Amino acid sequence: MSDSPPPAVSPPVETRLVYAHGLAALITLLISVTFGVLASIELLAPDLATAHGAWLSWGRLRYDHTQGIMLGWLGNAFFAFLYHAVPLLTGRSVTSARLGQWMFGLWNFAVVAPGWVLVLAGFSQPLEWAEFPLVIDVFVVLALVLAIVQFLPPFFSRGLEDLYVSSWYVIGGLVFTLLAYPMGNFVPELVPGARGAAFSGLWIHDAIGLFVTPLALAIIYFVIPAATRRPIFSHFLSMLGFWLLFFLYPLNGTHHYIFSVIPMSAQLGAITASTLLGVDVVIVVANLLLSLRGAGWFPRDVALRFVSTGTVFYLIVSIQGSVQAQMSVNQSVHFSDWVVGHSHLAMLGFASFAAAGGLIHAWQRIPTARYNPRMLDWSYWLLFAGVIVMVSDLTIAGLVEARLWQTTQPWIESVRAAKPYWLIRTLSVVPIGAGFVTFLIGLTTGDRGGGLGAVKASIGLEPIQEIAPVFTVSTAPESAAEPS
Amino acid sequence: MKRALRMSYLVAGVAGIGFFVMSVLLLGVWPGRVLEQQIRGMSPDHPLRLTASEQRGRTIYAREGCAYCHTQQVRYVPNDVARFGAASLAWETIFDYPHLWGTRRIGPDLSREGAVRSADWQLSHLYSPRGLVADSVMPAFPWLFDGAPDRPRQEAQDLLAYLETLGRNRALAGPEGEARARAACNCSDDEKQLAFGSPALNASPSIARGQGGYPKLSESGDPNRGQQLYSSNCAGCHGLRGEGDGPGAAGLHPRPANLSEHDYTLDRLGSSLWNGSAGTAMPAWRDLPIEDLSALAQVVRGFHQAQPEPALPQDVLDLGSRVYAAHCAQCHGENGAGDGSAAGQFPIAPTNFRAQRPSLAASLRALRNGVEGTPMAPWTSQLSEAELSAAAYFVRGFFQGGN
Repeated sequence: MSDSPPPAVSPPVETRLVYAHGLAALITLLISVTFGVLASIELLAPDLATAHGAWLSWGRLRYDHTQGIMLGWLGNAFFAFLYHAVPLLTGRSVTSARLGQWMFGLWNFAVVAPGWVLVLAGFSQPLEWAEFPLVIDVFVVLALVLAIVQFLPPFFSRGLEDLYVSSWYVIGGLVFTLLAYPMGNFVPELVPGARGAAFSGLWIHDAIGLFVTPLALAIIYFVIPAATRRPIFSHFLSMLGFWLLFFLYPLNGTHHYIFSVIPMSAQLGAITASTLLGVDVVIVVANLLLSLRGAGWFPRDVALRFVSTGTVFYLIVSIQGSVQAQMSVNQSVHFSDWVVGHSHLAMLGFASFAAAGGLIHAWQRIPTARYNPRMLDWSYWLLFAGVIVMVSDLTIAGLVEARLWQTTQPWIESVRAAKPYWLIRTLSVVPIGAGFVTFLIGLTTGDRGGGLGAVKASIGLEPIQEIAPVFTVSTAPESAAEPS
Repeated sequence: MKRALRMSYLVAGVAGIGFFVMSVLLLGVWPGRVLEQQIRGMSPDHPLRLTASEQRGRTIYAREGCAYCHTQQVRYVPNDVARFGAASLAWETIFDYPHLWGTRRIGPDLSREGAVRSADWQLSHLYSPRGLVADSVMPAFPWLFDGAPDRPRQEAQDLLAYLETLGRNRALAGPEGEARARAACNCSDDEKQLAFGSPALNASPSIARGQGGYPKLSESGDPNRGQQLYSSNCAGCHGLRGEGDGPGAAGLHPRPANLSEHDYTLDRLGSSLWNGSAGTAMPAWRDLPIEDLSALAQVVRGFHQAQPEPALPQDVLDLGSRVYAAHCAQCHGENGAGDGSAAGQFPIAPTNFRAQRPSLAASLRALRNGVEGTPMAPWTSQLSEAELSAAAYFVRGFFQGGN
């Protein structure tokens, strides 16, 4: 059926780049979490760092937290995954290992590290998901261009026929991030006030919808068949989900400014798109869960377990998103901790679980990488518990705040009422932080090349030498995707 | 077939880019054009731009992440309008590069902050938020000051200047501007009501209204509730024992009232709590229910220890009366009601002695030293010691009793 059958031997994966981006992801993750924890502690003890001056002030920590999570942790984890997955998806190597080294340096030492320092030093822009200063944005755009040069040519030289859905998400994610990034980071500097806010709203959602979600889904769609050694349930549903997602996600943006002065028809359009997006996610997740059937809710392969739990979080967070875009709900919970809970469910529950699963999956297949299955098992359960505590806590806090805002009580009452919830949120970092530390330990200790052994032990199969055929798309289902 | 398949992916790719372009056109460019039209129709002709100092203040506001806890948009929602005033119009943020709308409120909305608090309050609050609002979680910004709230560096002054611009243009637009915007607003009646229907542009209860009606407080109140309200809302400035020495007091000019040195009528307390005190940092507390205000008033009255009043010889009273008529009555009024002919000129109302009686010590101190931050000047160069004492005694006689 296919013109160019996948080669019998997979092209070399640039394992050093997987490894480098993986380690960078882990380190930036821990730093970003530290920023978040410090910010959350400062809500409980606001004068804790006052004596240390402006550098540790809440606003600056808050900026660094989200930028670090999105660019440092998720960005690096996505790149690590792409270095693993693109050769397997296309049967071709990425453009250039040398380019990869430049990209690595650019991303970590021209974007993330200086971005953090500049924000702490007081150079930033007050735009959500775009807090690094403009000078850093230039390097981000450059790095995104390089990422396209690095990862997309293998897809095009392979030919776009019968692309597996992960490939679509990779192509879509990289191209649309490059298009959307300047819109959120540059346009509001040039277009003032309400008009700028309209663009800003688009980016707030596109950062999640066009960067984080497609690449996280690419990982999920990749890891599930690779780990279960069964093809995805339905390629038709995969592609339906993909196109609906890329149609609907960009149309969501204005739901961040419901009841604002932005024209009501734009708001209503965004609300409609948000509602339909929930439907789309039900399709996507149904397809993924059906692909997982038999694997159990908590598969033994920890990479698969992270990914499948991330899938369930994705369903929950998307339905929550559809609900909170409705005017009646938005009217009360908007501006409250409900939304903070929602974004943590998205970035920590969904995206980070997917990224962690993808990273572990790639790690298992690096022959020289250390791998400690017990630690990773701990990591999973700690993070799982932490996410649930944190998100439920913030959701309830949001409802309490929303209720108080509807009364005539002084504003400070809502702050006072939120404090116990903020304490629990800060405490939830104990499992979450421990989860991420054990994650780091799990990928840096243990036997070298122990990953495949762990996979073998967990699913009772021989180590997987060859996984590329799983991703072959065929119109004849019975011949599809049997591992050779 | 193969060629068609290739074409189909090309079509899909173009469609994908099309989706993105469509989203930008539908949710970015088109709303922008509508907003531009709105702005053209509704904006006053010459809204004030930010000065260099205000612009620098805006940069500080942006860099410290203020917009991540304080929104600058009053939404078209009754609760928002009830708390923060008229819903925001598009033209109010036309000079915001980039916008500072925000999507989270830990603190209140600041769209109209300019009119809400006095400058000394803002500076003290930036210097040490918990000095003024015990339960605040706002970061403190002492590095914008030279060691004291009333010694702001340029940066703090810039930030203050910026805060004072918030809501300025809408206020300056005045009734004509509102009428013009209302006429040009292509919006539903509901939206018109939310944007233009509120009695005040800014509904913040913190605004000191100066004068106006106030409800009658009750003589009794739940002492525990009163104490709790006092310690979380008042003690920051007025001090735990009402001596005007709270942690936030140092940077305020005039200083917070020393409640223990004054006897207040219930009406006087009702007026201050309901309207605030214009020209001072004392905000209005009208978002508290009357029972709470009454409970607070009882706490405040409890600070004052009644002293035995010495009976004064007639000649002292006569001297006091003469001094008062010659030097004090222009401001404080012939009957001590704070309504003298010159009173209207001052940003801060002269003390109404009929509604509040200072202790002798406080009275004398004010005459000798003046009251910092108010038009009340020291009288030691004009009056003899005997005259000062006589006047200090005399003004206490205006007080209209215990309730």
